[in-house]
Amino acid sequence: ERGGNNSFTHEALTLKYKLDNQFELVFVVGFQKILTLTYVDKLIDDVHKEFRDKYRNEFQQKGTLGLLNGTFDFKDDFMRLLRDAEESSKVRAPTVMKTFEQSLKSQKTVKCMIETRGEKPKEKVKNKKNKGSKKEGTEAVAAPGKASVGDKQPSTAGDREELTKDEILQKNREEFFKRHMKAGEKSSKSPKPEAQKEKGKKPRVWDLGNSNAKVLDYSNSATNGSTEACPVEEFDPDIALGDRNREPGRLYDLEYESDDEAEEEKVIQNPSKPSMKKGGLGGMFGMLKGLVGSKSLTREDMDPVLEKMKDHLIAKNVAAEIAVQLCESVAKKLEGKVMGTFTTVTSTVKQALQEALVQILQPQRRVDVLRDVMDAQRHRRPYVVTFCGVNGVGKSTNLAKISFWLIENGFSVLIAACDTFRAGAVEQLRTHTRRLNALHPPESHGGRTMVQLYEKGYGKDAAGIAMEAISYARNQGFDVVLVDTAGRMQDNAPLMTALAKLIAVNAPDLVLFVGEALVGNEAVDQLVKFNKALADHSMAQTPRLIDGIVLTKFDTIDDKVGAAISMTYITSKPIVFVGTGQTYCDLRSLNAKAVVAALMKA
Amino acid sequence: KMTFFPQLLTGKYRDTQTSITDSSAVYRVSNDKSANVTLIDLPGHESLRLQFLERFKAAARAIVFVVDSVAFQREVKDVAEFLYQVLVDSTVLKNAPALLIACNKQDVTMAKSAKLIQQQLEKELNTLRVTRSAAPTSLDGSATGGPTQLGKKGKDFDFSQLPMKVEFVECSARGSKGEEGDADFEGLEKWLAKIA
Repeated sequence: ERGGNNSFTHEALTLKYKLDNQFELVFVVGFQKILTLTYVDKLIDDVHKEFRDKYRNEFQQKGTLGLLNGTFDFKDDFMRLLRDAEESSKVRAPTVMKTFEQSLKSQKTVKCMIETRGEKPKEKVKNKKNKGSKKEGTEAVAAPGKASVGDKQPSTAGDREELTKDEILQKNREEFFKRHMKAGEKSSKSPKPEAQKEKGKKPRVWDLGNSNAKVLDYSNSATNGSTEACPVEEFDPDIALGDRNREPGRLYDLEYESDDEAEEEKVIQNPSKPSMKKGGLGGMFGMLKGLVGSKSLTREDMDPVLEKMKDHLIAKNVAAEIAVQLCESVAKKLEGKVMGTFTTVTSTVKQALQEALVQILQPQRRVDVLRDVMDAQRHRRPYVVTFCGVNGVGKSTNLAKISFWLIENGFSVLIAACDTFRAGAVEQLRTHTRRLNALHPPESHGGRTMVQLYEKGYGKDAAGIAMEAISYARNQGFDVVLVDTAGRMQDNAPLMTALAKLIAVNAPDLVLFVGEALVGNEAVDQLVKFNKALADHSMAQTPRLIDGIVLTKFDTIDDKVGAAISMTYITSKPIVFVGTGQTYCDLRSLNAKAVVAALMKA
Repeated sequence: KMTFFPQLLTGKYRDTQTSITDSSAVYRVSNDKSANVTLIDLPGHESLRLQFLERFKAAARAIVFVVDSVAFQREVKDVAEFLYQVLVDSTVLKNAPALLIACNKQDVTMAKSAKLIQQQLEKELNTLRVTRSAAPTSLDGSATGGPTQLGKKGKDFDFSQLPMKVEFVECSARGSKGEEGDADFEGLEKWLAKIA
């Protein structure tokens, strides 16, 4: 899926490659990085063409066995091509700079430049007219509209303009129908979130009535372990847990109402397609030829479709640069490929894009935290997980959810409060600890406390606290240590250094980056800078980088799930957990196909 | 895998590269019926293996799962994980194709025997059952390996508990005579003849 960039550097060598999608061949040329060889691209193109022409028969007729049995005696041809390329690069004279008179700019008159700008607003007016006519639902107005546009630009742009205009029309028509359909759907959706809101709101009611300094002063809190000094509040387990009506250890899932809408849109698209064929015969021939018989995909065919897909992805909250790179790599993968009969360019491109997205989201290494914890348990050392991220993404909340999940599966947890900066951070964790212990009292787990908090108050060095917490866990026999760090902006150099030091010194087993699903283009910047800081400030040969991502606040986005793609694309690390709410049960794992389905849904 | 492929088809040894796509060809089984089966070789790279498994799992009449007997001790977790994913897949469970676990690279001295590999895999899969079913469920309906319980509950996992026939075979794609030697895979050929 990263096929957009076609060169790769490793130590002293650079490799450039070219794909032949028609015969599924890869051509790779390697050369020393220090030599700047200008003829490399040309050479690889020539080799590609020669090889393909020479052995075309073998590929087409014999398939795999042909590849295995055939002898490819290409060495002489290759040497010849290499010599030609080297010579051609030497002969080319340095290009002479054009004088002003020779350039085109002086030849264009001022008048001609004004006119081009003037045509554009006219086009916009035409579009508005088309939109307005769509609202009334009459096609008669559209046809003369199209014809007049065709007249205005008689020359070369004929085919493409009409195609894009038709696509605009199709889009408008879809929106019009969608608006009618949505009205029915919306009413069914609204009672559901309201019902859930009721439950969620209760525990967050603050008592602001008497804001005495005394009441708000929690400074005489205890050291590790003793919880009696803090006020014991009414703890209603049902509210905190939310939707807990099942067997322990099992977490239920979100409903995804996607199927109905998808079917309606398919129905709408079909009637608009034949109307597309009616108008503009000239441009349609190319399309019809693509439907019947085997046509190979060219860049020009794919460009309009890719543009649309890119805009669609950006509308779904995928970071802009990532959407561009993705479309580039899909284009590279499909260029020159022979389409089967009765498949349109759009469907082929959509299919390829879908595959690429699923490929990105599917974890490449194993994502099994419990398995790793069991391993660490066997070696009698605690499994250390560190949470890092910018401010306000939900590190402490998700830390509590993950510790709940671990306790449900029978592991004892030590929470290290290394957020020594934010006011109330330690108290927050202490409250969670108390609640979790109330839910899983020591009696039901063979007499040992399942979760404990290790904290040293505020203003201390986070890395030091983490180290002490880990040795405490080792002595006491805790299975997992969850280290909570302070939120920090990726641009804040001293704080990034501090985080890098914490991770480098303590060498955790898992470094999780917590990111919210609401983030847009920022995701790229955050992840890149975090990784860079971790790599720069580590003394080791192989620095500890981010190992996984926790995607939080997933319940706040409907189907604008693009942040998942951005994050996994940038780091190529898997999304380990997904946070979908503020209660302990709102922890899910990622389902790549569902997310991609939501992403591709128009 | 890629070394077996041309040898089964043509009897010759070929140098191989890491593949990024599948290759398929028709193989003539050497038994009385002389039936034809199509062999499909899927790339094993970790970023590609699941994708190609998805594509071909529905059409599979039998699956040959090749294991590197030398590196097994190191990679046992990854091997077990991939095998687990193959086994709990709903399509695979529905069709129940015959499964052959080919323990390759037996010519190297440090190779583990098929028996040992079987025991180790059973133990790993046993643990995986527990951890996978306890994982948080995914966003959309389908739980990750929750409802499809591998083997019998309560008892330790055993390959005989699976709905499909599982066999273990030792083989070596390079043969004991070094690089260009004859490969030693009669077990593989016999099994292919059986299921054809």
